[in-house]
Amino acid sequence: MIAAQRRIRVLMGKPGLCGHDRGIVLVVMALRDAGMEVIYSGRHNSPESLVEVAIQEDVDVLGVSILAGGHLALCERIARLLRERNAQDIVLLAGGFIPPEDIPKLKAFGVKEVFRDGAKLDDIVRYIEGAAAERATA
Amino acid sequence: MYLEKITTAQEAWKQRHAQEIARAEAASVACEDGIPVKVLYTPADAPADFDREVGFPGDFPFTRGNDATGYRKKLWTVSHYAGFGSPTETNTLFRRMIDHGGVPPYMALDLPTQLGLDPDHPLACGEVGMAGTSVASLRDWETIFEGIKLEDTFVGTVINAPAAVFLAMHVVLAEKQGADLRKIRGNLQNDILKEFTARGNFIFPVAPSIRLVTDTLEYCARHLPAYWPLNVCGGHYPEAGANRVHEVAFAFADAFTYIDDALRRGVAIDSFGKGIFFLMKTNHTDLLEEVAKFRAMRKIWAMRIRDRYGAKDEETMKCRVLAHSGGSLLTRERPELNIARTTLACVAGVLGGIELIGLRTMDEVFGIPAEKSELIAIGTQHVVAHETGLPHVVDPLGGSYLVEALTAEFERKVLEELERIERIGGMIAAIESGYVRKAIAQDAYATHLAWENGAKVKVGVNKYRIEENEPPRQPYAYKPEEEARQIAAVKQLRRERDNDAVERALARLVDCARRPASSESNLMAPIIEAVRAYATVGEICGALRQVFGEYAEPTAF
Repeated sequence: MIAAQRRIRVLMGKPGLCGHDRGIVLVVMALRDAGMEVIYSGRHNSPESLVEVAIQEDVDVLGVSILAGGHLALCERIARLLRERNAQDIVLLAGGFIPPEDIPKLKAFGVKEVFRDGAKLDDIVRYIEGAAAERATA
Repeated sequence: MYLEKITTAQEAWKQRHAQEIARAEAASVACEDGIPVKVLYTPADAPADFDREVGFPGDFPFTRGNDATGYRKKLWTVSHYAGFGSPTETNTLFRRMIDHGGVPPYMALDLPTQLGLDPDHPLACGEVGMAGTSVASLRDWETIFEGIKLEDTFVGTVINAPAAVFLAMHVVLAEKQGADLRKIRGNLQNDILKEFTARGNFIFPVAPSIRLVTDTLEYCARHLPAYWPLNVCGGHYPEAGANRVHEVAFAFADAFTYIDDALRRGVAIDSFGKGIFFLMKTNHTDLLEEVAKFRAMRKIWAMRIRDRYGAKDEETMKCRVLAHSGGSLLTRERPELNIARTTLACVAGVLGGIELIGLRTMDEVFGIPAEKSELIAIGTQHVVAHETGLPHVVDPLGGSYLVEALTAEFERKVLEELERIERIGGMIAAIESGYVRKAIAQDAYATHLAWENGAKVKVGVNKYRIEENEPPRQPYAYKPEEEARQIAAVKQLRRERDNDAVERALARLVDCARRPASSESNLMAPIIEAVRAYATVGEICGALRQVFGEYAEPTAF
C-alpha cells in the first residue's frame, strides 16, 4: 500500500483576478498543520496554468478560491481542462463567496465539494483526508 | 504624593476584595494584538505628565484631535461606497447625485481595469463589469463625465496599480473641458504597497510601482495642488486578518516608503504631505482600544512628520483618518445583529475623533445591499451624530485612565513594530521577503482558530446560534451581454482612433520608463500623451509591463 502511505498532495490557488486570499491562506495553513504537502500558487492564475501545475505536481486535490463572483465561469473551465487532460480524478474543490444556489451548478461541472466562507477548517481537512484515501484505493 | 496615596488605597482595595479579584484575574484578558487588559485602571496607569504626553486638541501632537473643538467645528463626513454598472449607467448615477447637491461616491472599477487588462484580454473573461465599472480608455472616462464639469465636483477613484493612467485621464478630460487644473479636486487610492500584501491587485514589481506613485505625487504637487493623489490604506490589513497593531504599523511603514521616495526626488514634504489620508477600519471589537488606536495614530504621525521629515506646516503633521467598519466581522447568521456591530463601530470612530466614517450594510454578506439596508447604514450614523450627544465634547475619553494607558501602550507597540520593519531593511524588504504576508497570515490563523474553538465569541455563529433560513439576496451576477458590449466598444475604438499616434505615444512611454526614475523621466507626461491618443488602459500598462515586468508574490507561510 505505497499509495496510502504517500503524504496527501494538494495544490491551492486563486484562478482569475480576485485578490482576496485570507480564506485560502487559512486553508493552506490548516492543511499543512494536518501534515499534507501543500503547494500554494498565489493569485491571478489562469485555469490553464492551475491544471498544468496540478498534473505536473501529481496532486490528489486541486483547491480553488474565488470571492469576486467569477466562480461559475472559472470552475467550469478548470473542470473541462481536467477532463481534456484526462486528469478528472484530481479532486477539484472550490471555496469562497459562493451563493448556495450555485453549488449544484458547480457540482454539475465536476467540482466535488464546495466550502463557502464560514466553513470550518477541520471539516475541510477531514473531507480532503477522506477524498484522498478514496482516490488512493480507486 | 497624590499617586502614592492612590497606590496605597488601591492595595487596601485589593486586600478587601482579594478573592473576587484573584478569580477575575485567573483568566488573563488581552486585546487581539496581545495588549493586556487589567480589571481596573486608576490614576497610577495614566501618563504622569498630562500636558506633555496628552496635551490639547488642535495642538501638536494632536493626540486629542486635529481640531480644537472637534465635531463642533465640523461633523465627520457620513460616507457611502457604491457599486456601478456600465460607464453610461455610472454617468446617470453621477448626474443624479450632483443634481441632488451631493458629490459622486467613490468609483469602484472592475478587476480587469484594476489590473491593467483590456476587456478582451483572455484573463478578463467573466470579470468585465463585475466588481465595478469597466474603463478601457479615455472614451469611457468621457462617457462617465458627460455633462459634468470636473472643475465643480470631487471625483474619488478606487484605483491602485494603474492609478497614474486614471490621473492622466482626469487631466486630459479637464483640459478638454477648459478647466483650471489648479482647481481640480479628487482623490486616487494609489496605495500600491498594500496591494502586494493585503488586497492583491498588483501589476508591476515593487520598485517601479513606487516610482509610479511618486510620479503622481510630484505631478500633483506641481500642477494639481487641490487634488489628493494618495490614500494610504491600513484597513485592508485587518480585513486580510492582521491585528490592530499591524494595521497601523504597516500603513505607516507604507506611507514612510512613499515619503522617502518623494523626498529623494526633491519634492518638499509640505508640498504633498497634506494630500495624504489614511483609510482605516473602525471596528466594534476591543472597542476602547479602537479609540486608543486613532488617538495614538495622530500622535505617532505628527511626531514622525515633524521630527524625521522636518515638516514645518502643522497641517502636514495632522493624521487625517477616514474609516469604514469591517465587512469581515459581519455575519451571515442572525444578520440583523450586524446593525448592532456597525453602530458600535461608528461609536468607536466618533470617540476616536476621525474625519470620515462609512458603515457596511447588514446584508452585504449576501450580495448587493438592498436599498433599505443602505438607508439603515446611513441612518445609523445620523442617530450617533444627532441623538447621543457624543459630538458635543472633543476627545470625550481623554483622561480616562484606561484609554490613556491603552493609547500609550498602543503607541509603544506600533513603534516597536516599525523598528522591526526598519531592521528588516524597510517596508520594501519586508514585503519582498514575505515578512508582512506571514505576519498577516499568522494573525488571521490565530483569530480563526479562536473563533472555531470558541475562545472568541461570535454571536449567532459560535454562541447564541439560531437556525434560520438565509434571507433572499441579490447576488453579484455575471452579465455576459455587458462584457460583450465592452469588448465590442474597445475593438471599435481601436478601429476608429489614429493608431500611428497610439504607437508613437506608447513607444515614447517605453523609452521614458527605461530611464532611471527622476523628475525628468516622470512618467505622467508620456502617459498623458498616450491617454490623449486614446491608447487603452491595457495598452499603457502593457507597455510598462514590457519594461518593468510583473510582480511575483512570495507564497510561503
